[in-house]
Amino acid sequence: MDVKLVNPFIDAFTTVLPQMGFSEPKRTGMSVKEQNAKSLGVAVIVGFTKEIRGSVVYNMTEETAKFIASTMMMGMPVAAFDEMAQSAISEMSNMLTANAATNLTALGLEVDISTPSLTVGADCQIKISNEQYLTILMDVDGHQVEIDVAVQ
Amino acid sequence: MEKVKVMVVDDSRISRMMVSSMLAKTNFEICAMAENCSQAVALYAKTKPDVVTMDMNLPDEDGIECTSRIHAIDPKAKIVMISAMKDAKLIMRGRMVGISAFLQKPVSTNELIDTLMIMCKDNVGTVATYRESYVTTFAKVLQQTLMQVFGVQSEIEIAQEDSSVLKVDGVAVVVGIVGEPKGRVALYMDADTMFGLSRAMLGMDADEELSSDEAEAAIEEAGNIIAGRGVSSVNDVFKDREMRVTPPGTIVGSDIVLSNPDLIAFNIKAKTLYGDVFMNIGFARGV
Repeated sequence: MDVKLVNPFIDAFTTVLPQMGFSEPKRTGMSVKEQNAKSLGVAVIVGFTKEIRGSVVYNMTEETAKFIASTMMMGMPVAAFDEMAQSAISEMSNMLTANAATNLTALGLEVDISTPSLTVGADCQIKISNEQYLTILMDVDGHQVEIDVAVQ
Repeated sequence: MEKVKVMVVDDSRISRMMVSSMLAKTNFEICAMAENCSQAVALYAKTKPDVVTMDMNLPDEDGIECTSRIHAIDPKAKIVMISAMKDAKLIMRGRMVGISAFLQKPVSTNELIDTLMIMCKDNVGTVATYRESYVTTFAKVLQQTLMQVFGVQSEIEIAQEDSSVLKVDGVAVVVGIVGEPKGRVALYMDADTMFGLSRAMLGMDADEELSSDEAEAAIEEAGNIIAGRGVSSVNDVFKDREMRVTPPGTIVGSDIVLSNPDLIAFNIKAKTLYGDVFMNIGFARGV
């Protein structure tokens, strides 16, 4: 998979999150993986298709998901990862992927994105590719979010 | 639910009778029948139907011209073309005058009702449209695919709209849908059912070695086929939909909750001799 295809996803993350009240996220790692991704607790899958086909997974612990949901809801305390918090994380994934799609279009690769599917549970593996895919680690205010990108 | 008014335009009396018998006992009510273009235009103005079925061959003008004349009275008129021919040229001409749905004779009752439901979504209601049209289509495809891919018969149950979370123990294949409407399909089952179906697909006995990876790949392929065929069946009728599927994502594990709080979702259960196979179809709200 072409490494330049992950930049639109990284750029989306660093552009969109500050607009929702987070500090500017920092990239802390990037690697090529072959094994299935292991869910950290909360993982959201969004598919895309048109000129390129693939999937992106936003993977984080439940603690991080609650922190993000709380910040998105103007600091409202989030004690449990309930439907409201799940909705916030789904919406964030949708915004990130839509923004990445716009960035891909600028590279001449138009894509349409699906609705996000959110999974909760740490005993969960996610397979988005038969081949290699790329993992990017992002730090948001001390919380880690893993972004897995696979393009066919 | 309010009745939806349908006008049938067809020069053949038998064809008109067939459509009206298909719509008997449904929420659709025939408000007018026309056997030629001039009658159709006059009756449209008089009865103001919600939707029109239009034959291509009429004695005075063809169905395309008749559609243009109806659109001249009511630019928002909803018209479905029903004709013996359904070739690219006809579809192109039809689209140019604003026809979005095309059916080929002989039309099946399900096909006709599904098509009219989707066209009259605003009259019928979004949830009913999704259920009666898309979900029943996917349920049929699920049953066919279980038979063709795994050689297994199934008994299908479609539940009422239910957007609560799904509990997955085993495997779930998630395929995204883009276009209109957007959504996703999730095919899921427990590990025993997955192994039973995969062995049946590969013609293996119960004691033959089959790895989890291989079994998951078999279910992934089935999920991919079902989503692709389901979307194609819808696209086949609605030429302006262009729904497409994204690559599958496969989730494996225990105690997984699969949720999407923002979907209008439906559960389909297929009972098979290897265990229950579930399929959840969800569409984005506000489409």
